[in-house]
Formats: sequence, structure tokens, C-alpha cells
Amino acid sequence: MSNHGKTSTPAPYVALLLAYLVPGAGHAYLGRRRRAVIIFVTISALFWSGVAVGGVLTVDSVQERWWFVAEMLTGVHGLVGWHRQRTAYEELRSAEGDGVEEKMQGRGIALVAPADTVARAYAGVAGLLNLMCMFDALMLSIMGRTGEPGPEEEQTPRKQKGTKT
Amino acid sequence: MIAWRLFYNPITLSFYHELWLLLPLCAAVGIVYKTIRVTHLGHLARQVLFLMAYMLAGLVILAVALWLIHEYWP
Repeated sequence: MSNHGKTSTPAPYVALLLAYLVPGAGHAYLGRRRRAVIIFVTISALFWSGVAVGGVLTVDSVQERWWFVAEMLTGVHGLVGWHRQRTAYEELRSAEGDGVEEKMQGRGIALVAPADTVARAYAGVAGLLNLMCMFDALMLSIMGRTGEPGPEEEQTPRKQKGTKT
Repeated sequence: MIAWRLFYNPITLSFYHELWLLLPLCAAVGIVYKTIRVTHLGHLARQVLFLMAYMLAGLVILAVALWLIHEYWP
């Protein structure tokens, strides 16, 4: 048998919530700590690389709603990015003078091609990758699998597939 | 002159450099996907390299096919 933990059953919704809030936390909850660190570092680096390329308006709930939905899937990263974007918009609105577009240009935060494509692709794909990790953490917790897989697991999945069909 | 701040002001990119930024994107997709798929993390680096090679080869083939259609389709 594998070395999956048998002492406590993981709660699927806790795994899902943790995986959403902090990328990799769902896997850490399931005892897969090394994978959790890799997931956290990769998704965080991808998201913040996007914000570094695109600036404060990368996470834009006003102009780019579908990218925004994807970016929100990065959990705490997306929420921080959204807060920064809202703060920037509020500052632009409260400032006296021309329209918001002109103020963006004036402050040097207007996002134009090709930086907008790269920035939103990085941040959005980070969110979609976290969605995949959330789904994986949810499925592992439903199946009661905790800890790293055992050495014999490499052969078993194909056999199990064969028996099901 | 406005002081440029990282994570606040966007970076100026040229369209030539944009394509090179596919590499870290493919690497990130490969790392996360293979991290949740591989049984043993010792195989992760090799698996990620294979997946990256597949993704980049697929993108290059798609780009060439679309370019040929664009250039030579009547």
C-alpha cells in the first residue's frame, strides 16, 4: 500500500478554500508540502511578473473583466492586485483636471500593447493554473489521499483505468 | 518627469521581445501541470522539459501553418 495518511480524513471544502486563498496551500493541507512550495513559488512569480510588466492596471476590473475573473483565481495575489488597482483608480478620479484616460497617461500608468497582452496573459494564466491546483486538491481530498504517493503508485493508475472500462 | 516605479508603471516592450516572453509562460505552465501530475518529484525537471518542448514545437508548427495560410491562401 502507499504511504497515504490514514489517521484523519481531509475536508474537501477546506482543501478547496485553502487552495484558492493561497496557491499551493491546498496541497500543503494534504501533506504534499514540496509540491505546495513549487506551486506557490511558480504561480506567485508568474502573477507578479505580469504585474511587473503591466503595472498597477494589470488587474483591471473595469476594462478587462474576463482577464480580471482569471486573475482573481490567484486568491490573495489577485485580491492584492485588485486593491492596488482600485486605489489607483480612486486617486485618478479624485484628482482635479482632465478625464481618467488623460490622468493615466500623465502618471505613466496607462497600459498599452504589447505590454498589456503579456501582463494580462501572465497574471490570467497564473489564475487558471491555480484553478487546476484547486481542482486537484479538491479531488485528492475527496479520495482521501494525503501525503506523497507511494513507490508502487506509478504502475497502479493505468491498471485501475483498465479495470474500469 | 515622473519617477518610474516597479509594479506601478508598466514596462515598455517591443513586439520583437514579446515572443521571447512565451518561454517563461510555457515553463510556468509546465512546472505547475507536472507538479500535480508526476508521481515522483525527482522526475519533475525532465518531465517539465519534455512538456515545454512539446508546447513550443506545437506553437511553432501552428505559427508556420497560419503564416503559410496567410501568405499563400488564394
